Amino acid sequence: MKRASWYLVAGVVAGFAGVLALHSRGAPAARSAAAGSSQPGQSARPSTGPSASSRPSQRAVAGGAARSAAGALEQYGYGELAVRVTVSGNRITDVTVPALKTNDPTSQQIADQAIPELKSQVLAADSAGIDGVSGATFTSRAYEQSVQAALDKLRAS
Amino acid sequence: MGTGSDPGPGRPALLTHAETAMGTVFSLSLVPGDLPGPELRSALGAACAVLHRADTVFSTWDRRSPVSRFRRGETGLGGLPREVGQVVAECHAARRVSGGWFDPWAMPGGFDPTGLVKGWAVDQALEVLRRSGLAGAMVNGGGDLAAFGSPAPGRRWRVGIRHPWRAGALAGIIEVGAAVATSGCYERGPHLTDPATGLASGRAASATVTGPRLALADALATAVAVGGDEALAVVGGIEGYAAYLIRPDGSETSTGGITFVS
Repeated sequence: MKRASWYLVAGVVAGFAGVLALHSRGAPAARSAAAGSSQPGQSARPSTGPSASSRPSQRAVAGGAARSAAGALEQYGYGELAVRVTVSGNRITDVTVPALKTNDPTSQQIADQAIPELKSQVLAADSAGIDGVSGATFTSRAYEQSVQAALDKLRAS
Repeated sequence: MGTGSDPGPGRPALLTHAETAMGTVFSLSLVPGDLPGPELRSALGAACAVLHRADTVFSTWDRRSPVSRFRRGETGLGGLPREVGQVVAECHAARRVSGGWFDPWAMPGGFDPTGLVKGWAVDQALEVLRRSGLAGAMVNGGGDLAAFGSPAPGRRWRVGIRHPWRAGALAGIIEVGAAVATSGCYERGPHLTDPATGLASGRAASATVTGPRLALADALATAVAVGGDEALAVVGGIEGYAAYLIRPDGSETSTGGITFVS
């Protein structure tokens, strides 16, 4: 009996950030993440609500004897990634970071910019000359690792 | 209390202080100008007191706080600190101008002004600093920030916007005249609900709003994080306010009025 298997891979944040840094510039803007249906019972982010976005969500590719499914992005950026697992029978035949191109759903590697990118910069905060950082509210503990904390430490005696 | 060190040639020293309150960390940066040390420290202390006062009044975690009692309907506004009435009025106004995309009455569990209170508290703290005679100041409440004056002669405050999914990276840098707020799902997990459906919203990875007052910018950032492009269009029609949206698929858009440095 075929079963779809869902996996979330906890990425190593530091290593992943390093890989992404190599591909930070020049990526085409129009990329889509696989924001497919959520992993039952595990995803912290349910799939987008009814008629939410004008962008079509990436659906799992069903083909022949193999089925693949993409997990929702559990969290952005802090160690969790979505992966697509292709199952044939009881065997996992492929594990990829979900592809961005809808006509090429398999065999995209992380190094191939499978994660959507913005015009983003990994900047040393001080060299960028910024005075503060605006972002979603962080907990006191998360503050310690934040760029804002780096700025504050730079200026404190 | 941190004291300012010269961050580089041509820039005046900034007095920087980090204060934990409301479950996050507030970063206060003061441009001393001619203000003597004791008055600087007094201003800083008064600003921090405002933050802790807001924490006490508006903590939804504390069942005995004034806002918790108000949420449960145990008391009307008449029996509560004045600040509660002010924030409730702010919430009414924000709900109206956001076209309902910001609706603290639609929260699970009842009225919850959390999407606006932090910005409101920063506004209050900044007002204390403004009245103290400082040449400039910036208060950053866990990612929502307001400022006045200049960090250096002839320069505006520059703020980086956190990248939604790359730790330590920035999605952009903007110039800020008064206030900037950012809302998104990437830090504390899904906590934004769409008033129409009650579902966790997925139209935005990150939403940034700039404008004259942080209380409203805070609410509107929450609105755009929930409503995505539709809510962004609403903000574009509000005089003085602008919005920048990063969608979950990595694309982005903004209204006019945001000055990107990079």
